[in-house]
Amino acid sequence: MTSPRLDLGHGIGLRTTHFARFMAEPPPVDWIEAVTENFMAPGGRPISVLEKVRAEVPVVLHGVSLAIGSVDPIPGRYLAELARVVERVEPALVSDHLCWGTHRGQYLHDLLPLPYTEESLAHVTSRVQQVQERLGRQLLLENPSTYVSFKDSTMTEWEFLAELTRRSGCGILLDVNNVYISAHNFGFGALEYLRGIPVDRVGYFHLAGHSDKGKYLLDSHDHAVPAGVWDLYREALRRFGRVPSLVEWDDVIPPLAEVVAESRRASEIEAEELGSSGRRLAS
Amino acid sequence: MTLAETQALFHEVITSAEPVAAERIDACFAGTPDLPAVERVAIYADMYSWRLVEALRETFPNLVRFLGDETFAALAGDYLRRHPSEHHDVGQVGRHLAAFLREFPDPERPDLADLAELEWARQAVFFATPAEPVGSAALAGLDAEAISRTGLVLSPALQVLVLAHATTPLWRRLEDGDSPDPPSPDPGPVAVWRSGFDVFHAALPHDEAAALSATRSGDSLATICAAFADREDPAHAAHAALSSWFDEGWIVSVGPAPPVSSSDREC
Repeated sequence: MTSPRLDLGHGIGLRTTHFARFMAEPPPVDWIEAVTENFMAPGGRPISVLEKVRAEVPVVLHGVSLAIGSVDPIPGRYLAELARVVERVEPALVSDHLCWGTHRGQYLHDLLPLPYTEESLAHVTSRVQQVQERLGRQLLLENPSTYVSFKDSTMTEWEFLAELTRRSGCGILLDVNNVYISAHNFGFGALEYLRGIPVDRVGYFHLAGHSDKGKYLLDSHDHAVPAGVWDLYREALRRFGRVPSLVEWDDVIPPLAEVVAESRRASEIEAEELGSSGRRLAS
Repeated sequence: MTLAETQALFHEVITSAEPVAAERIDACFAGTPDLPAVERVAIYADMYSWRLVEALRETFPNLVRFLGDETFAALAGDYLRRHPSEHHDVGQVGRHLAAFLREFPDPERPDLADLAELEWARQAVFFATPAEPVGSAALAGLDAEAISRTGLVLSPALQVLVLAHATTPLWRRLEDGDSPDPPSPDPGPVAVWRSGFDVFHAALPHDEAAALSATRSGDSLATICAAFADREDPAHAAHAALSSWFDEGWIVSVGPAPPVSSSDREC
């Protein structure tokens, strides 16, 4: 279930802090990403804001609770609500994370890493296919930021993602910040990671800030995009070509203009690296 | 280890009140000399607690004001061990907190369960299914016969709670940053509703709450109005109450009600 890469441009996340601005004027960016679960409730202000925004710019739904790698069956209630919100919002793309996060019916509300084994690969492949069949469209999975790995792993994360996309047809939401964080936390090369990701499977990029906790980097989304992540974004553009970008800022959220400026920075860097027209796909 | 065994151990590490033996962690997880596996999994355990307590803080801001951050975090920890999240929306994790506070009450503040129930209801109506209210003109021209055959449909964004203490004054004092009064037993109903994107609540007379309950049950206008029978002027009281329901947007439809018994009274 592959899909061609969309030329969405550069967007930001839809956050409660900025709802009043989004209701008063059109989003000052090319597209908006909304956290799927925040818009599953039938009423309230969030879904009203999203209804308004989706009439003005493309919207991407980005989930945090699918738990595609959990051993638990995917709850029918969750899949039904996901299908309903996808039908209602008609997003340009639907994404979630390569992770697990439920155990015997309990939600841990975290994006927990998987051991990268053949067993995990077969399991996740089967579940991606289940979700894609239910939604009737491609699912994109984001590489998580990780702090621990498993002794049983037999392949790298990028090898796992590459094979997963080949087997299941899913796309990749490549979080450049998460590659940077995980590379730092485990000591692998971020460029090696990028080189392992199939070019034609990347649907969009995430860009975000992180926190230096001394012994490790934490994916905190509470800062501007740091220089090291911008540098890695340049490398990603050189490998993957023109790819839509999304700036995430989820904590200590500044005024909208500051988040928009980060998105414009992404656009400027893309122009610097690829020229104003860019390349849809690198050769 | 199988994937299932790995996830079971990871779950235990994250949620257990007691630390998991380092040998078990080291057998599964990989670490580095500067950041051993035990410290790496602890990052996830810390984030698990932090994220769920933050979700509870957002849902129960006045309970947090009352208890203070530290005591609320301790309460949240006890609660989460009893009621871990069972819903994909982290905002739903507090759904059992009022019941938990009733099961394990603070002897000096038994009204905190009511406060939690009120705050939970305020969140619930905010996200309730929207429905367009109708005006009182929908009742125009109904004669006595029609009244016995007509019912009302309440907004999904309206809840009626029955609380044991004077909770709305407590909520107001906390909201205004004032110190709370001592608990005051004052059993009574409270309406909680959404209008636009704003949430309101107000104490209700018992007979009006009974009328709303009859409405929710699908009873006819005649039965609904009968709830005000003990008032000095029942017809006037019923008219005033129903008018306010329409004004507040609580009524979303007027339509046929099931057949009524002969004991039903007219408005």
